[in-house]
Amino acid sequence: MDQSNETGTPDEALLIAFANGDGAAGQALVARLGPMLFGYAARVLGDPAEAEDVVQDVMMKLWKLAPDWRQGEAKVSTWAYRVTVNLCTDRLRRRKTRGQVDLDTIAEPAADLKSAVEQMTEADRATALQDALDALPDRQRQAVVLRHIEGLSNPEIAGIMDIGVEAVESLTARGKRALKAALIGRKDELGYGHG
Amino acid sequence: MNWGTDMDNEKLDDDALDALFAAGKAQAPEATPAFLARLNADAAAAMPRPAPLAVPSGAPSLFTRFKGLFAASGLSGAAALGVWIGFVMPDLVPTVSPVSEDVAGLTMFLPGADLSMLSE
Repeated sequence: MDQSNETGTPDEALLIAFANGDGAAGQALVARLGPMLFGYAARVLGDPAEAEDVVQDVMMKLWKLAPDWRQGEAKVSTWAYRVTVNLCTDRLRRRKTRGQVDLDTIAEPAADLKSAVEQMTEADRATALQDALDALPDRQRQAVVLRHIEGLSNPEIAGIMDIGVEAVESLTARGKRALKAALIGRKDELGYGHG
Repeated sequence: MNWGTDMDNEKLDDDALDALFAAGKAQAPEATPAFLARLNADAAAAMPRPAPLAVPSGAPSLFTRFKGLFAASGLSGAAALGVWIGFVMPDLVPTVSPVSEDVAGLTMFLPGADLSMLSE
């Protein structure tokens, strides 16, 4: 998570400037955090409209917190990710029926994932990935997105999800295994079953 | 072929998954400009405003600024004028009235009071 923009101003400095009435600093934070948080929330929730609601809530919380921000305690981006993760978790819990399957119980796939993926266009791959992510258990999906799509380190994810690094490693490993199972399990449905 | 038990094939599966992740990054959900504009509007509305300074907004008028001085100088001027008139035109100043006249005046204003001792 880079704390600086092109001009090298750390997120925290921008937040403090915003708290002192600098509107441009607020816009810079929106430009930096908004797309990042939206990308994560959209991946995890699988619904852009819900993702927008979540990110809007997160940013409002940030603005309200700005005058009382305690410098040096946490990175602004880590705080923002943490709140986003929590709000996404709340929304996922409220969903009564997701048709979610615990993919941990699925046997290892017996198929050729590589050749199947090679035949797909990039757009198809992205769609297949999102569908597979949607089928993951919530915590696994959150950890996998943070690690393999947002590109955060395991210690950073541990701080965001409020768990240990080993728990992050476990979640991402199980998540990847489940993703493979989900993708291979849907190969016929997705039309790449004869690679 | 059973890919789940073979280390090489496991690696191939990892590569395939990495290709999916790369595609996922390349085709990341993008925040719309309208949404970002909404976030900016929220930020502008929520931005703390600096507290207004304690200085009054309008500059005070000259009279307001020196009205105390004017009042004091008016009072002093009237007193000085009275002293000056007393010296220059003493005829204009009534002489001190006899006690009896004062008592008569007091009796008129304080009709119930026993003022006989004052007239002795």
